[in-house]
Amino acid sequence: MKIDVIIIGIIAALSGLYALNSTFGIAGAGAGFAVMVVYALLLKVKPKKWEEKTFFQNIRFKLPFIIVLSGVIWVLAGKFNFPVWWQIEFVAFAFVGFSFFMLLDWKTFKQEKSSFDWVKRILVTYALASAIFIGATAQLPQFDPEFELAKLNRPPVKLEGLAGPEVIAAGREVFENNKCFNCHKVFWEGNSDRGPNLGSKQIGLYTGDYIKDQILNPRKNQSPGFEDAKSKKAMPTYYGDDLSEDELSALVSYLKTLRDPTHMPVEGKFPNQWTWWDDKDVIATGQQVFEGLQPETEGLTCAVCHGKDGIPMMTGALDFRNENNADTTKIEGDHTDKPLKEWPDALWYRRVTRGVPNTPMAPWGMIFPHLYLWKAEAYARTFHDPLDKRTAIRPVPPIPTKEEIESWKTDGLFMDPLL
Amino acid sequence: MMKQSRSPLKNIFFKTLLCLIFVYLLGHLTPFLSVSSNSIISSLSFQALAYAEEDDEEEDEDEEDEEDEEGGEESAEGEEEGEEEEDLSYLTDIGPAADHEFEEFSFMGFSNRKFTWFAAQLHILFASFILGCPMFVVIMEVMGARRTQGVRKAIILSNVFLGILIGVVIGITGEVIIGIHHGVLYGLWACAFGALIVSFLNYFHRLMGIRASAFVGALFGALISMALTPVEHYETSGVILAVVNGAVGGLLSNGIMFAKSDFKFERLAHEITKVIGICYSFTALTGGLFLFIMLVAYQDFITYLISSFPTLFMVAYPTLFILETVVMYIYVYSWDPLNKSNKKGRHIVTGVVLNVLGLSLLLALDGPTTFMQTPPKPLDQLLNISEWDRIANMAWMPLNYHRLVGNGTFGGYMVCIIGAYMYLWSEKKEEREYYDWVGYIGNLIGVAIMIPLPAMGYIFVREIYQYDATIGMYIMSDRESMFMLVQGLLVGTMFSVSNIYMWVSMKRIENAERFFPAMKFGFILIVISAAIWFTPRRFFATMLPEPGMNPDMVLPDNLAFLALMISKNTAAFFLVTVTFVNYIFYTIATKTGKVHYGKINPLGPYVLIFLGFADIWLMSWMGTIRELSRMNWHVYKVFKDVTPEKFAPSLAESGLQVTQIVWTFFILMTAIIWIGIKYPKTKKKETGPAQAAPQMAE
Repeated sequence: MKIDVIIIGIIAALSGLYALNSTFGIAGAGAGFAVMVVYALLLKVKPKKWEEKTFFQNIRFKLPFIIVLSGVIWVLAGKFNFPVWWQIEFVAFAFVGFSFFMLLDWKTFKQEKSSFDWVKRILVTYALASAIFIGATAQLPQFDPEFELAKLNRPPVKLEGLAGPEVIAAGREVFENNKCFNCHKVFWEGNSDRGPNLGSKQIGLYTGDYIKDQILNPRKNQSPGFEDAKSKKAMPTYYGDDLSEDELSALVSYLKTLRDPTHMPVEGKFPNQWTWWDDKDVIATGQQVFEGLQPETEGLTCAVCHGKDGIPMMTGALDFRNENNADTTKIEGDHTDKPLKEWPDALWYRRVTRGVPNTPMAPWGMIFPHLYLWKAEAYARTFHDPLDKRTAIRPVPPIPTKEEIESWKTDGLFMDPLL
Repeated sequence: MMKQSRSPLKNIFFKTLLCLIFVYLLGHLTPFLSVSSNSIISSLSFQALAYAEEDDEEEDEDEEDEEDEEGGEESAEGEEEGEEEEDLSYLTDIGPAADHEFEEFSFMGFSNRKFTWFAAQLHILFASFILGCPMFVVIMEVMGARRTQGVRKAIILSNVFLGILIGVVIGITGEVIIGIHHGVLYGLWACAFGALIVSFLNYFHRLMGIRASAFVGALFGALISMALTPVEHYETSGVILAVVNGAVGGLLSNGIMFAKSDFKFERLAHEITKVIGICYSFTALTGGLFLFIMLVAYQDFITYLISSFPTLFMVAYPTLFILETVVMYIYVYSWDPLNKSNKKGRHIVTGVVLNVLGLSLLLALDGPTTFMQTPPKPLDQLLNISEWDRIANMAWMPLNYHRLVGNGTFGGYMVCIIGAYMYLWSEKKEEREYYDWVGYIGNLIGVAIMIPLPAMGYIFVREIYQYDATIGMYIMSDRESMFMLVQGLLVGTMFSVSNIYMWVSMKRIENAERFFPAMKFGFILIVISAAIWFTPRRFFATMLPEPGMNPDMVLPDNLAFLALMISKNTAAFFLVTVTFVNYIFYTIATKTGKVHYGKINPLGPYVLIFLGFADIWLMSWMGTIRELSRMNWHVYKVFKDVTPEKFAPSLAESGLQVTQIVWTFFILMTAIIWIGIKYPKTKKKETGPAQAAPQMAE
């Protein structure tokens, strides 16, 4: 029988290690193995004769130890950028552990002498449990039910008679009410990176029809970087049934506003993300735009001036092959001394969408969808920084803050109409 | 005596009665038939009346279609009548009562919702007790019964019953964790048939060895389950699951069939049954209270719900309820008489039948409960589908599994409470020893059944996510996210306290100190795991910060993994593993050292009471989460809650309400345990009869 137990034990241990390995890789399995070794060693330790400790004997070593440990936890958690509440949580759990170990070594309770003793103790037990549960539910963050009630009492979205900003606000409400924030962040707002960040991806660059189709048929096109089996099934397919036509239109109106005039769109699942600067599919489309072959930008051929192979065909046209080419001073009050290789995304975008005054570089952003203009810029960069020679991708820009997003509007970075 | 009881008259009478019941059931219990095929029931349906006004046009069209099919003459009449429409409103006019308006009721801080919440949860707590406890009471009765021929026959049945329960639990766990297609069916059939075949062979003394039983169980269980499970091609994982389940069935059967009877189990089972008897009345009382409150507080909705399940509420539920009541009282009151007349086997069979009826009742009522959560789609066809389709909605089976296991856990912790109370109320040394042992058994049952509980909860929420992710997000990331954090706190507390109880218990076992250093290490792992389980992604109570909340309290993206399921599952894995390892230490200690029952540290009973309170509080809490997850819908996206209390109550308010409910339950349970177990002992002591005698030999 003993051999059976040993075999079952080995199978159980190996299964546990396998599970940890498949979840966390070799580090997980290593940690699991270490735990098993510690257990094995501790079982070999010859225990001291059990001795009851008084309260002061009990805390004599434990209290100073836990205070030092709490300090270490606090500092380490701070180093790892845990916000203050999590620092408090970890230290609180250290004290929970302290309480456990106090209880484990506690002196044997005195036997009850009368009914009054056990009644008292039972009441204390119930009171303690109730105090913990009531206390926890009272102290954890609360919401105001009135806020939800006000939301529930709002009439359903009806677009009739609403103007632009009101439609967009209604669309955001639809986005919020349908818990889209659970999987999709919008720049800094949102809950998780399960789906693409619709702000940094700049979903607003796409056409309304495309966005609508993505909502109704989410399995049709998978966002780059989200091709894994789990992501493919993540987006619910019932929004076509759940949303009214007005709600859907309002939602699309809101999503159309999600643009960033200062950065290239970002693709991929956090933390494996990249910008369009390094996206070969985007660059391939950008080449088509640049060479005048893209149907959606019919009439635009960058190569006419800048040259199909990067050799400018027209005097004054920017030579993309020279990474040290400086910005010109043609745009008054909007000049940068940085060479071409260091141009910020915002400068690329501005020059292409708004044009360069007094030159044949027209404000193409007034005519062509910006989605393709960004792609053309990604291609243009390859003349001085070929894709196959790059050793590293461009860093993903930080998520813009609320203030930055506000400033895009106040500083007039968005064009009108915004294509 | 026996020949007299088998008189032809009685046999004929019972056979006739059974035939009548069978015919009656065949004629009336037809949940598979569509509602539309049962014109009588559908035309009587309140639901049809409730929608009469809204669906006038559609119904007119339907009527016209029917008339067309029925023939030209009626059609012609219909056209003639169409010119001068007859006023048929008198058929639905209920008189001056139609103008009666139901108002929001409030009494001492209790509102419509809180009254309903209170009654519903109290009812569910008692129902869980009377459904959960009989499951292991019957197994305990088996463990305590002398292995007479009758008992051994009954054990075949009880082993199959246990095999079904265990097979379902292992199967569903395999289905969830490893993703084995039809894992639950493999588990169920393999374990049940493994148990059946091995029990039969054991009965005839053809298969005595435990290894041989495991082998036979694995072989036959796997083969039969593979034949019965509808899959196109067999997968290795499924076959392995079937083999494991068959082996488990075989092992259990052999172990139970040849176990040495221990009278302590018989006594414990009998005492719990006395409590079940009283709790049964409270289940009915609180059920009635719940219904009355619903009729006052949510009259429209309860009418809609009941009328959506006409066969269930008019036929199946009352039939099952009455049958269960009858069998339950037979089970309770025939204990001593059947013991005395050497018919223990029959009593065990009655216990199994009681369980089957109880589980059927659970399955039946889970139908409307889950219908409220996941009504079958498309929703505009809800009125046209059969009643059976409304019952067998997406969340039905997952909730059945969840409640089955949850009730078992609940029952285990209630045994802890009984053991702890009786330990404190006992003065005699033998009594204290016995109730100390009861506490140990209760904790064993509670923890053992609690281990697969997270997997059952997971499969339930997974189905909800698949049905409508919005509900899942509301629970996990929005207004109920802090509720789930409290759940994490409770689960961590329960595992910790269970382990503390084991620690306290081991102090009364000789030579158990050798495990203490390893157990202390386990406690460190428990605290770390509980901390990870408790770690939230953000520290505000909604998905997006609302006015007055601190939006900066969010984990940075690179640390967010700590709040994801991968970390939570690992924490759960460690909590379960450490608890399991400690139980192994405990078991080894009890087998290799003398256990001084009755000399447990007086802290022990209070730890058990704390544990029971925490479990029942958690159970009420999870019920609250499930109910609130429907948001402002009584039936999700079908029947809207338009009352002033349609919003989610705050965490603090919910915590207080749940605590009040659990206190009420505990006050009642304390009285029930006293009346059911302690008081009869006190009375016996006064009148001076002997202790309950062990059952007589057949």
